[in-house]
Amino acid sequence: MTTAAISRSDFWLRFSHSKNAVIGAIIVTIVTLAAIFAPVLAPQDPGKVSILFTWEPPGDRYTLGADALGRDVLSRLVWGARVSLLVAFSVLSITLVIGVTLGMIAAWSRGWPDSLIMRTVDVVFAFPEVIIALLIAAVLGPGTLTVIVALSMVWWPGIARMTRSLVLSLREELFVEAAVACGTPPWKIMWKHFLPNIISPLIVRASIGVGFIIMAEATLSFLGIGVQEPMPTWGGMIRDGLPELRSDPHLALAASASLGITMIGFNLLGDGLRDVLDPKGAR
Amino acid sequence: MPGYIARRIGGLLFIWFVAVLISFAALQFVPGDPILVLLSDQSGDAALEARLRADYGLDRSLPLQFIDYIGSIADGSFGLSYRFAGREVIEIIEGGMWITPLLAITALVIAVPLGVFLGIAAATRAGQLADTAIILLLVCGISIPNFALATTLVWLLSIKAGLLPVAGWGSFSQMILPVVVLTVPPVAYIARLTRSYMLEVFEKDYIRTARAKGVRDRLVVWRHALRNTLVPLLTSIGIIFGGLLSGSFVVETIFNIPGLGRIAIESIFARDYPVTMSVVLLFTVFYSLINLAVDLSYALIDPRIRLQGQSA
Repeated sequence: MTTAAISRSDFWLRFSHSKNAVIGAIIVTIVTLAAIFAPVLAPQDPGKVSILFTWEPPGDRYTLGADALGRDVLSRLVWGARVSLLVAFSVLSITLVIGVTLGMIAAWSRGWPDSLIMRTVDVVFAFPEVIIALLIAAVLGPGTLTVIVALSMVWWPGIARMTRSLVLSLREELFVEAAVACGTPPWKIMWKHFLPNIISPLIVRASIGVGFIIMAEATLSFLGIGVQEPMPTWGGMIRDGLPELRSDPHLALAASASLGITMIGFNLLGDGLRDVLDPKGAR
Repeated sequence: MPGYIARRIGGLLFIWFVAVLISFAALQFVPGDPILVLLSDQSGDAALEARLRADYGLDRSLPLQFIDYIGSIADGSFGLSYRFAGREVIEIIEGGMWITPLLAITALVIAVPLGVFLGIAAATRAGQLADTAIILLLVCGISIPNFALATTLVWLLSIKAGLLPVAGWGSFSQMILPVVVLTVPPVAYIARLTRSYMLEVFEKDYIRTARAKGVRDRLVVWRHALRNTLVPLLTSIGIIFGGLLSGSFVVETIFNIPGLGRIAIESIFARDYPVTMSVVLLFTVFYSLINLAVDLSYALIDPRIRLQGQSA
């Protein structure tokens, strides 16, 4: 495992030579900008109902048409990006904090905390992801919180396991031994010595993770157990557009295309970053 | 090997117990009182309420309820529905119990050879136009969510071209689109893995030896390289099957297929939680059995796995 940090200029050189990374980064930047500036970019209020324009086809008034309640599809798409990315960002932050902390504790202690944490990880892995989501949806009821809790439950064990294996090999290094000999407290070793050395595989993992989380959020919202109305989500828009596929295909197809392109963007960026940062880890 | 099998089966039973425990706990935490929901209009009828509570065993202590719960799983009834008074859960789910595994296994049977074939096709043309085209296809296959793909295919093939039925279950033509939608992501995933494993194997000494001996190219790929690729591929079957189970929720909802996935989603909205939990249990069992089968066959092939941890 090579976790040796590469210099900044080296990184950008390799990055700009990776076609995947560049195309992915462009798509991701566009989606992220749309999400951040949704209130400015969206031509209309995404929740504004106008009964005069229900099922309005794409045209001058509504670039991408209007839905069953006369809400602007384009505005809802832009706001949908915001919801998707907010969920992904929340889940990623939660799981990185929990996963990295527990993974480090497991690797550092090697005793019963290690066994306890890793057995818990094994148990979570033994359940299909969708089942965990279903259980949480049953207990908490459908909603945004359900999505965030469910996806965090599913996502932290992978990060914990990866952190543990990275730290296990790091703690044999001389500089760690030196730090221990100097009496550096464990939390400081973890923060100052381990974290900087495991950051690039974590970045790769996170960039691939965003794609997965967006997909999972959209799936739960599509099934109706995710983010609820009136918040616009791509998954929810596809579900609402599906029965109207014969008469107004633009409703479901516009959201499908947004979701598909976003996913392609994050996956390309993830693959590209992996090639750049962690060539040995490339499958 | 027997020790390894015993350890794995022990692990399996533990996971099942955890699943039963979690689903029982979840039933305690779900909002609302099921008996009051069942009573609805007759909620003033104390005698009826007491009778229902006794029928559902909800008047008993929690440990006794848990024993009842295990008993209902053991006798295959899975307890009583919260939605249909007095009906056993098994009556609601038994229709779907075979549909979901059937769809998943059909998709798997198609996806593995197709994915391996595509992966080999790309690996043997590494760097060429065909390789790039296949990679591009695979990125799309992995990225595009199954419900977005299903929506697009229904629009193109069923509505625009009128080739296939929009939804439903029962005939062969109704099975085509669901299976295609389920198959695309695993094909892309398997092909990607095969391609990178193949490229790795091509660098190995034994491949160079085989080529140096003058073994024909096709034989090198299909005999020497493929065999060594299939072993690591085997381990990913579990992940793929897990993906297919999640896919079944989406596909059954879109195509109106009366499988376990759709039953589970409907049961959440109907607050029929015993049904939800029984699907949770069944899917956990399917998933763990597939993983056990994968691990056992892997251990059979690779002695290092079955010996692992034995000395520890």
